[in-house]
Amino acid sequence: MNIIEVQNLKRVYRATNGVIRRTTKEIVAVDDLSFDIKEGELFGLLGPNGAGKTTSVKVLATLLIPDAGQVRVKGLDIVKDANEVRKEIGFIFGGERGLYWRLSGNDNLRYFASLYHVAPEISKKRIPYLLELVGLKGRGDERVQGYSRGMKQRLHVARTLLHDPDILFLDEPTIGLDPVGAREFRDVIRNLQSEKKTILLTTHYMFEADSLSDRVAVIDKGLIVALDTPSALKKHVRDLSVVEIETFGIAPNVVEEIRKLPFVDSLSTREQDHRQILHVQTERGAEAVPDLMASLEGMRVGRVTVREPTLEDAYVRLVGGKA
Amino acid sequence: MKLKNLITYWRTALTVAEITLRHQWNDSFILFAILVQPMIIAILALFMLRDLGGEYAMFVVVGSGLTGLWSSLLFISGNSINNERRQGTLESLVALPTPFEVIIFGKNLANVVQSLISMSSSYILAALLFGYTLKMVSPLLFVGSVIISIFAFISFGLVIAPLFIIYRGIQQWQNAMEFPVYILAGFLFPIAMLPNWTTPISYVLPPYWAARALHETSTGTGDTEKIFFAWSMMLLFSVIDLFIASKLFKFMLYKARVDATLETV
Amino acid sequence: MKTINNNLRLFWQGTVLSYVALFAWFRPVTYIASKILMPLAQMIFFTFLGSYASGGSNVDFYVIGNAIQITAVSGIFGVTMSIGGDRWAGTLAYLFGTPANRMMMFFGRAFMHVIDGAFGVVIALTWGALLFGVDFSQTNLSALGLTILVTTISTCGLGLLMGCLSLITANVMFVNNTVYFLLLIFSGANIAIDTLPNWMQAFSQILPLTRGIASARILIAGGSFAEVVPLLTSEAGIGIIYGWLGYFLFKWFEVQAKRKGSLETV
Repeated sequence: MNIIEVQNLKRVYRATNGVIRRTTKEIVAVDDLSFDIKEGELFGLLGPNGAGKTTSVKVLATLLIPDAGQVRVKGLDIVKDANEVRKEIGFIFGGERGLYWRLSGNDNLRYFASLYHVAPEISKKRIPYLLELVGLKGRGDERVQGYSRGMKQRLHVARTLLHDPDILFLDEPTIGLDPVGAREFRDVIRNLQSEKKTILLTTHYMFEADSLSDRVAVIDKGLIVALDTPSALKKHVRDLSVVEIETFGIAPNVVEEIRKLPFVDSLSTREQDHRQILHVQTERGAEAVPDLMASLEGMRVGRVTVREPTLEDAYVRLVGGKA
Repeated sequence: MKLKNLITYWRTALTVAEITLRHQWNDSFILFAILVQPMIIAILALFMLRDLGGEYAMFVVVGSGLTGLWSSLLFISGNSINNERRQGTLESLVALPTPFEVIIFGKNLANVVQSLISMSSSYILAALLFGYTLKMVSPLLFVGSVIISIFAFISFGLVIAPLFIIYRGIQQWQNAMEFPVYILAGFLFPIAMLPNWTTPISYVLPPYWAARALHETSTGTGDTEKIFFAWSMMLLFSVIDLFIASKLFKFMLYKARVDATLETV
Repeated sequence: MKTINNNLRLFWQGTVLSYVALFAWFRPVTYIASKILMPLAQMIFFTFLGSYASGGSNVDFYVIGNAIQITAVSGIFGVTMSIGGDRWAGTLAYLFGTPANRMMMFFGRAFMHVIDGAFGVVIALTWGALLFGVDFSQTNLSALGLTILVTTISTCGLGLLMGCLSLITANVMFVNNTVYFLLLIFSGANIAIDTLPNWMQAFSQILPLTRGIASARILIAGGSFAEVVPLLTSEAGIGIIYGWLGYFLFKWFEVQAKRKGSLETV
């Protein structure tokens, strides 16, 4: 059963500039988006910056009104039945803001519990349980001010679970966390999955989407470019291999020349220290290496590896090698 | 609105008020608005009105307390929505089953009750430092007036806060709105001293009726009929304010969801 | 000559740039609301309060007192924000890193506020004439002008000291607001100083504004310039003392900040 239905969603931002000569600039954040999420599913929304991920989540969380299209949560319209929708959902936006820093973690939770109409006798038991769930056991009496970024973000998760919603929207929840904090956070998300929550997760990190999501939608410029399970998405690149070449000070025109080679399916570069790593997707695999090296003749080249494609490679191919 | 909802909302508003008090108890701006400024105004007025005799001390206590009430309503309640936005909590507060106006009601309740400290501190100041014997003429009616005034101030605050958000042009005048209400509401001198054309403005200000009720009950200058009239005016304005506020909140929240301004200042 | 030129330029840049930076977020409306209407409403409030007490016999006393007090809006709030603003913007470290003459840099920050403050007083006195019928026909206007200027400078002196304190304390606005309101009691703007208890009178005497207000009252009532010269000299002296205290605190702060590496965090 589809618990969330998004049909032809469109959202435009209008920015007005200037005092005397007012000019209105329109930015299409979400152009035409349609997808459904099944009950109990973890649905990943993947895309580069400005693809429309956060906008979509905010529309779903009743914080923005769409310009066009229909969005239903549990059959309820997010514009007309906003208040009913709000009882069913929880949401967090990445980052550490949005909490009362001068209050303790407990007080923050008690406050929101009351706003979600959780009876005091229930919240008295639920708050310690949630603190434990998100790994903040014993820290509830401290002021949020003293929490680390990761702790604040986990407190947000506890906050959004107070009224035990069936549906959760997590917008880049691990943004800005160090690797350890991010791993702890993913464990929390797995806990939620085991509690049969329906989760919409947006993220930048491929392996995060890969390891957590049941299905992934890749969006770019407000449109869906692919929607499938992570393994099916990888099939897009199944018959391809990835050649990674470490170069030092490669010129942009050389990169463009390689991109034009007939056997190169897609190409992206990544800057690392003083090196540029070229990721070349090709059907020819290791056989392509000599031809590639020929194009790089006269340049300093480091390590060369050939590997199987990952979800990231599928993603790179889908959004046109921009990542 | 069902009765069950009303009880839930009342309970929620009380929790909001409690948490608000805890959150801002050591905020220096609030300390200034509800304690320092009204105390200094009380000292000034006690010195200035000294020649009028001891019976004016009670008038000064109530009047300077009212200045604290208005300043905190204007600056603290007036900025309450903006402050949530700055903290990044506005989005979480809007996308809740509790109507946003109930939350702001709770916050205003905290601010108004907290600013009653102004009156108490002026009382202590006049009694201890200046050695006046302060006599409350009709204590019961005074308490009644305080309760109705709290309600009137909260309702007025519920109009101001969304107004400041929707029309930023109005908020720019915030600094210039503090003293005119001190003057027009007759906090520390009767509005009879002012030019006639200002009287209608005074009549539409809930703080004016609050000042009348509180002054008349504390100094015994008004009969019961006059006091009840002031109460009725406050209740009337509260009903009007609540009606306007409900429209403003609806409009403000819809507009914010269209313009995407819940998050950015 | 080159040094003088450099210093003058520094003075001017500190003046204009800090003023512009401070009011960049100020729209004209906000300026009118906070620097013209707010002080005007305050003046009207205290004038009515005063005439209520005295039966309206000495309106001039309150109008003049509160009009001169308006200089403290620029002198205290404006100057403090010009000094503290650098810290909030995180530019103080860069300033301390330059070889610029500290004195020029420091006093430059007050310059625009002197003009601003004096302008505010003139507007307030004009309103006083229009609304409350204060009579300037017997007044030596150039002596009154000098009084306004001297009082504004001395109030800015206090502002410079407060501004430096704001570099050390966290609750700048709290301290400023309190000082501003305390001046309403002690400067004689609203209460005749000789009716205050002795200890309060003593305190009044070491504050700026007190003598400036007294001088303005004498001049508007028709007094001669010679009568107010001693008042103005002391007023200027007090302002200079506060300004220098501020300057020494500023230097001390720089040394401390460099020693402890606490420029951005104190």
